[in-house]
Amino acid sequence: MPSAVVWELPLPMKTETKCKRGRHGGNKCGRGNKGYARGGNRPRLGFEGGQTPFYLAIPKYGYNEGHSLRRQYHPLSLRRLQYLIDLGRLDPTQPIDLTQLTNSRGVTIQPLKRDYGVQLVEEGADIFSAKVNIEVQMASELVVAVIEKNGGIITTAFYDQRSLDIVCKPVPFFLRGQPIPKRMLPPEDLVRYYTDPKNRGYLADPSKVLEARLELGKKYGYVLPDMTKDELFQMLSTRKDPRQIFFGLAPGWVVNMSEKKILKPVDERLLKYYSS
Amino acid sequence: MIRVGLNFGLRLRGGAAARALSMSSGQTGPLGTSTTPASLVNVAAQAEKPPPVILETPILRECPIAIPAHRTPVQAWVESLRHYDDQPVGLADLHPDVFAVMPRVDILHTVAIWQKNFKRISYAKVKTRAEVRGGGKKPWKQKGSGRARHGSIRSPLWRGGGVVHGPRGPTSYYYMLPMKVRVSGLKVALTTKLMQDNLHIVDNLELPTPDSQYLANLAQYRRWGQSVLIVDVNEMPENITRAVAGLKSITLVPGLGLNVHSMLKHETLVLTLDTVAFLEEKLLWHDVRYTALYPFRLPYCDFP
Repeated sequence: MPSAVVWELPLPMKTETKCKRGRHGGNKCGRGNKGYARGGNRPRLGFEGGQTPFYLAIPKYGYNEGHSLRRQYHPLSLRRLQYLIDLGRLDPTQPIDLTQLTNSRGVTIQPLKRDYGVQLVEEGADIFSAKVNIEVQMASELVVAVIEKNGGIITTAFYDQRSLDIVCKPVPFFLRGQPIPKRMLPPEDLVRYYTDPKNRGYLADPSKVLEARLELGKKYGYVLPDMTKDELFQMLSTRKDPRQIFFGLAPGWVVNMSEKKILKPVDERLLKYYSS
Repeated sequence: MIRVGLNFGLRLRGGAAARALSMSSGQTGPLGTSTTPASLVNVAAQAEKPPPVILETPILRECPIAIPAHRTPVQAWVESLRHYDDQPVGLADLHPDVFAVMPRVDILHTVAIWQKNFKRISYAKVKTRAEVRGGGKKPWKQKGSGRARHGSIRSPLWRGGGVVHGPRGPTSYYYMLPMKVRVSGLKVALTTKLMQDNLHIVDNLELPTPDSQYLANLAQYRRWGQSVLIVDVNEMPENITRAVAGLKSITLVPGLGLNVHSMLKHETLVLTLDTVAFLEEKLLWHDVRYTALYPFRLPYCDFP
């Protein structure tokens, strides 16, 4: 006889089915007298006896029209970013990318739910004090100002759905054995956003971005720290090519995880395609 | 941490003597007959003078994984199987977050029931009135025959007719409990075994003989109970595999085979020191790991 006796918790979680047997559970069995309710022949849900039902009386309006085609950006507050850096989950000495954010479980991106990436949100702007090289998909002006005031660099870049899935979960992609695809360029309505130096877009002119940095410093009233004298200048200035998905890996390469090898294409047409 | 120190040898000798004295007084089993095996009777007579102990350095196992500051480790004797009468060989510190968790009996129940049911596929299937052979024709005309009206000879009212709401085809009762629930089930089971004095730790599974009777006598002498579950992580020595092969009530199981149902079914649990280290490492990892981005069997760079 085992000495541990186990039992279930007597929680009221199990729904008791009403038993239609005898004394007070029986007779009419909770159905009342004649009519369609007794015989189980009730009209459809929403029917109001002939009066125009509520769901037809109210006029249509496109509140949710095209909701499954709208782009969603997961919010990441500066407060959460600071929290992750302080706890050591994010390494500020390396460029911070979507891959780094996902690996540290700072954000959870669902590419299949029309997520297009991460947007930086202003909450925690007053307590943010970390020098980072961060790449997100959207950022407001105040956020850009805060990061640059602390000596960091912020870039906004576009990832299409397939590239986003690869960036968020690199290991399952490498195990598929497919070559790394090239990142697609943004759609028409986003081109203006990503070519604007004020948003630090990745397609914008670098000289204009420098001008925008100075203007922002004047607007918000802080002095831009000089980057060239910084010891981490090389890390802070690393940026991805517009067609690149991973730092250090170019499109067209195949990564073999089990043998720890990288295979690069040799054919001219492939090289021409992947370098375009 | 050992607070016993110099009194180690003396205390053990006292314990062994007490056990020997109780055996020599004559245990009576459920049938009223003496259960002391014949091989032990002679030995018990000599047990008044305990054999001289060769004091080697005792095995003091400290927990390799850091213990939270507010908790202290639980301790258990480390025994050996080399001699049925052998005294404990050392003392082991066990991690409290594995061997001293809250005794959640409902978790044990949930996990034990899950283990029993998730593999179940019931193959029961009965035929409905549509599947029973025959019964397409109306047996007699609707009116005039004087008998009750019927449409087919295989309706559920008829003898030999189809069953109405019977079991339909193979049904699977598969479901998975969350990983952390199953892990905490193991922790609660280990805690229960330790707290109810049913857990014994052994330094290794080396037996002097491959004799099943020796192992049975050892279990009986040490009052381990009716059934014993021995768990080892390394390759098991030949002696113990041959000894256990002949016994029904003692089971030898690899480390990955430890489960809540087996722990509840067997009265005693015997772990080796390596098994304890393995279990602590595996069970405590779930407390500190990140959530899974993709299945754990795919490679992760930052944790195993």
